Amino acid sequence: MARLAGIDLPNKRIVIALTYIYGIGLGTSKKLIADAGLDESSRAHALSEEDLNKLRDQIKKIQVEGDLRREVGLSLKRLIEINCFRGQRHRRGLPCRGQRTKTNARTRRGKKRIAVAGKKVAGKK
Amino acid sequence: MARSQKKGPYVHESLWKKLQVMRASGEKRVIKTYKRASMILPEMVSFTIAVHNGRKFIPVYCTESMVGHRLGEFSITRTFKGHSGSKKTK
Repeated sequence: MARLAGIDLPNKRIVIALTYIYGIGLGTSKKLIADAGLDESSRAHALSEEDLNKLRDQIKKIQVEGDLRREVGLSLKRLIEINCFRGQRHRRGLPCRGQRTKTNARTRRGKKRIAVAGKKVAGKK
Repeated sequence: MARSQKKGPYVHESLWKKLQVMRASGEKRVIKTYKRASMILPEMVSFTIAVHNGRKFIPVYCTESMVGHRLGEFSITRTFKGHSGSKKTK
């Protein structure tokens, strides 16, 4: 079992497998593998311990998983604490880069909540 | 696109002048301003600036962590109290 940065890698091509780590996308993955001098298309479980150590050394250079999550969390907390516009949008779970919210914005606002006709009347009785 | 480094952070002249006077004399007074696009500089920390939101002046107390943000970010221009039918807001 190949284990990197506290994550079990699935047995896929190593470029893809690395993207299962939080903080590594396809671009970063390609760069890391090139820097480690490995072949992108080799399967994750087929890698030798030596190759894995090469990858570990590369991953140490960037921020991934817990550290990265913590940093993102802290910067969000800062925005919320200083009570700026972006902080208020984060607090309410709305988009904070000026997108429209009349429609769309489903990623931030969550799944659609459809108003049910006649619900209010039933509640009042 | 980000602003050119050469120009430095944007602060409107008149606001900057007032701030300099206040810093020189050591007195602390609330400055009223319409210059929402002006950036908060380290020099402004611990001053209160009343920023116009289109209707009235909102006092903004500048702290260390606000440096680099614009004054307008702290003076919200829209008020949304919720929709008429929703139960949540009451």
